[in-house]
Amino acid sequence: MSIDILTGANAAWLIPALSIIAFPTTVFLGRFLPGKGSFISILAIFLGFILFWFVLFDFLSGNSVPLHVDIDWIHIGFWKITWGFLVDRISIVMLGLITFVALLVQIYSLQYMKGDNRYGWYFSLHAFFAGSMLLVVLADNLLFLYFAWELVGLGSYLLIGFWFDRRSAAEAAKKAFITTRIGDVGLLIGIIILFKATGTFHISSIIHAAQNGGVADSTIFWSSLLIFLGAMGKSGQFPLHVWLPDAMEGPTPVSALIHAATMVAAGVYLAVRMTPLFELVPEVQVTVALVGLITFIFAGVVALVTTDIKRVLAYSTISHLGLMMLSVGTGAVGAALFHLVVHGISKALLFLGAGNIMHATNDATDCWSFGGLKRKMPITTGIFLIGSLSLAGIAPLSGFFSKDEILGSVYQNMGYAFLIITLVGGFISALYMSRIFLITFTGDPRTDFAQNAHESSRIMLLPVVMLAIVAFFLGMVAFPMWDFNGFSAFVEQGYKFHIIPWLAIVSLMVAILGLLTGWVFYYKSLLSHRAMASRFGLFYRGALVGFWVDSIYEFIINRVVLALGRLIAAFDRIVVNDTGIDGSGKSVLLSAFKIRLIQTGKIYSYGTAMAFGVFLAVAVWWVF
Amino acid sequence: MTEFSGLLTLAIFLPIVGAILIALFLNGKNARTLALITTLAELALTSYIFLLYDKEKGGYQLVDKFEGWIPFDTFRVDYFLGIDGLSAPLVLLTGILGIVAVFASWSVSVRMKEHFMWLLVLQGAVIGVFTSLDFFLFFLFWELELIPMFFLISIWGTGRKEYSAMKFIIFTILGSAFLLIGILSLYFSTNTFDMTLLPDKIAGANLIMPASVLFFLTIIGFAIKLPVFPFHTWLPDAHTDAPTAASVMLAGVLLKMGGYGMFRVSASMFPEQIVDYSWLLATLGLINILYGAAITIRQTDLKRLIAYSSVSHMGFVLLGIAAAKGGTAELGMNGAALQMFTHGTITGLLFLTVGFIYEKAHTRYIPDLGGLANRMPFLAAGLLVAGLASLGLPGTSGFVAEITIFMGSFPAWHWFAALAAIGVVLTAGYILWMIQRVMFGPQLLRHNNLSDASIPEMIPVAILVASILVVGIYPAVISDVFNTGLDPIVGEITSYAMGGK
Repeated sequence: MSIDILTGANAAWLIPALSIIAFPTTVFLGRFLPGKGSFISILAIFLGFILFWFVLFDFLSGNSVPLHVDIDWIHIGFWKITWGFLVDRISIVMLGLITFVALLVQIYSLQYMKGDNRYGWYFSLHAFFAGSMLLVVLADNLLFLYFAWELVGLGSYLLIGFWFDRRSAAEAAKKAFITTRIGDVGLLIGIIILFKATGTFHISSIIHAAQNGGVADSTIFWSSLLIFLGAMGKSGQFPLHVWLPDAMEGPTPVSALIHAATMVAAGVYLAVRMTPLFELVPEVQVTVALVGLITFIFAGVVALVTTDIKRVLAYSTISHLGLMMLSVGTGAVGAALFHLVVHGISKALLFLGAGNIMHATNDATDCWSFGGLKRKMPITTGIFLIGSLSLAGIAPLSGFFSKDEILGSVYQNMGYAFLIITLVGGFISALYMSRIFLITFTGDPRTDFAQNAHESSRIMLLPVVMLAIVAFFLGMVAFPMWDFNGFSAFVEQGYKFHIIPWLAIVSLMVAILGLLTGWVFYYKSLLSHRAMASRFGLFYRGALVGFWVDSIYEFIINRVVLALGRLIAAFDRIVVNDTGIDGSGKSVLLSAFKIRLIQTGKIYSYGTAMAFGVFLAVAVWWVF
Repeated sequence: MTEFSGLLTLAIFLPIVGAILIALFLNGKNARTLALITTLAELALTSYIFLLYDKEKGGYQLVDKFEGWIPFDTFRVDYFLGIDGLSAPLVLLTGILGIVAVFASWSVSVRMKEHFMWLLVLQGAVIGVFTSLDFFLFFLFWELELIPMFFLISIWGTGRKEYSAMKFIIFTILGSAFLLIGILSLYFSTNTFDMTLLPDKIAGANLIMPASVLFFLTIIGFAIKLPVFPFHTWLPDAHTDAPTAASVMLAGVLLKMGGYGMFRVSASMFPEQIVDYSWLLATLGLINILYGAAITIRQTDLKRLIAYSSVSHMGFVLLGIAAAKGGTAELGMNGAALQMFTHGTITGLLFLTVGFIYEKAHTRYIPDLGGLANRMPFLAAGLLVAGLASLGLPGTSGFVAEITIFMGSFPAWHWFAALAAIGVVLTAGYILWMIQRVMFGPQLLRHNNLSDASIPEMIPVAILVASILVVGIYPAVISDVFNTGLDPIVGEITSYAMGGK
């Protein structure tokens, strides 16, 4: 290794390494340390955040060639698997998002989780999660990426099931792991297909080979689809989204970090990373866009009727992940990544805001049990408003700009039909954000604990306020400044920053219309949402239960998989064991009674049998 | 020619001498102490042997050879021991599980003397199987291992223990009968029991039976041991009814004797047949994986669940070997070998933790358990690590084996490998379901006075967790050695598979 691995952008590997080291340290030593070792985990991610800036500036100052560092992992004859780190524009953006949000969420958790009897374990899991997530975005080969990808899944499993003595939490954790695993198996097969075709796991080598015609189109098609299946599982795309709403059983800061800002974004990241491959087969691109669009609308509709504040945010996350996938499908990876960052910050902000509310109201989550919180919790109200408006896509908040770039790409690449549906999705987004905001913060308190709610302490407000500031101003990076050509151009080579003025105006109007609709229903009560619900009864009830997707899965598991398992188990016991094995044992016993009649004691009968046997042996030998 | 380095002889006879000393002089806790000392020394010795094996040089090393141990001209048996890259890791595995088994039976109070005596004999016999290079000697150790296991299951077992022990014996002996015919036929065709010479001699010899018949005669014994569908039904009974220590040894190393035999005999002596019949291996492997997993999902007895999961996981060994057909035989075979090692530690750990849970909660019936993580966080962590390794989570040794097998078998058997991937999802299902039902959820009142693992219980768990993680994070420690051993075998197979096309 000739390159120096400790300076500048080359030192990026240290960022995950710090958190990974913090994990065993807090597990084993945490109990002897003040704060159960929480500060170790926070320090690790803080140093990671500092390092991120060094990496960024070093990269900007000319080290613009993607860097590789390779370490041998396993070596079987001709085949060799190496671990390597890749620092490029995409991974740097992800590093920034992950370290920033993880740092703030961990600081927030210091207060939020206080008094929990597994306080130390909580922070070690955070360190584990952050380390694995950072590895995902730095991995330069698909197998390494898969490795870290699964560890991220484990981190999520353990954090969702953090309160494992609640049955629902344990159930949700298992569901998340298994659902994402279905996608992961697809991902693994996709990776192996590519390995078979190219003999390597290296992302850039695979893409290079594919672009130069070294891989058959059908191979690219199947492997891309399978890889996308993995991305669908992690990023909660329809129909693999079912685990994400249930994941809200975890502590709220966990939802903010993992199930809003980082882990669920991993699928989008993977799709962005593999887009050069996807682009080679247009059908894949269209599939990605379609899945994204369906998810965007579907989850938005469910979010419209859900009343649990965390689940509304969860469905909203699924919906926005769909929007990102749509963007990837149209080829606008810059816009997808931009929206990923913007949404990550805004959604982390909203979740932590929801955490403040729950903290103040004795862990209530049903939005109808709040009301009037704006007088009790003015700061939380303010930051929640910023998050809501940003996600609704109101200028000049950051969400407007990222959505605008996606809309532009949809318009240019997919035509009017997609554009109109996407705009409808934007309307729904604005509507459910205004709905949840108005129900929660305006009007009169509906319950005692909403009446007695209080503003959170400073240590919980500080991270939220910082997120709010970033969510407010982040939109600026969309614009070219000095020799910076705008965020999308930074990520996507050859992208030219542009705005389609009429589209920006239409999108803004649609968002405002969505907010106004919410205002009419839930603030002014000019129209009754209950009347609406009963008019579209079946649709409403369907949306309430997520359009029966869960029931379909349950049916498949109970009536197909488990039933088949029972059938095979019975077959194994009754047919294979009792009849085949014990049966032949019994028949030996039975025949022994008969066969002893042959033991005549007469030489000539033995002689005949022997001759016959010899004849048979010779015959067998002859035939073969 | 006589060579003698003595280490392997010592590795076989150290436990056996320990057993004799226990039989003659010691009782109760003293027997246990001596067993612990012996297995500790054995662990040190096997680790030393593993480290001493020079993988740069390759081939058979640390050879102990006395020619003409049975010195008839017409029937010459040598005392011939040696290790290569294939057997060295398995010897180490036996060393590790030996001491684990002693700790696992720490609380045995019935007929302690005999229990520890049989455990030691078992360990010696298994090491004998892995180190014998004389086919006859191999067969002797192969049979010797049955006796201690029979007693361990039928005396210290639970449930229908006599039935299970008898079933185990009959199945294995049935396989051995075929194996013996195969061994003798090979001897009378080539005039040697030397397993290092047999591959070359078979190729040029005038066999008294067609090579494919010999291939099936020998592999059937290994298939029963592995076990392969439809010869697997002894396994759930034997594993479930065996005491913890015996389950650990049974799943940990006895099954591996089957896999080891497939490499040492089937693949290395019959390279053409293993390629020609790889379709059969792949089919049976797939059946094992899916059939085993489907049954596992329905199990409500913890030990039976793990036992059936072994059926499923051993299918991956077959699938890896079936990669013989393609140009990726190397990956598949190495993956299969890794799977043997890693399954030994993982399933050993599963049986161990479940055994401790059973001792404390007095039930293995999953619906009666729940919320144990509160009472026993250490055992919960152990079970979690074992479970995650079993479902092939990266960072554990299970992943390394699984990924290498997939890489190897996919190019050769697209659809088989793709279908086998369903097994991976099912595994995640039953493992997480099991962990959730046993460890998570609200703690039950009747478990209020359960305690976590004691120190003698923690040590073996820690040993196995460490070996799972070390191989998972840096697999080269094991894979480099396996690779050295498999290189010549794979070379033959690949040249036939590629040339035969």
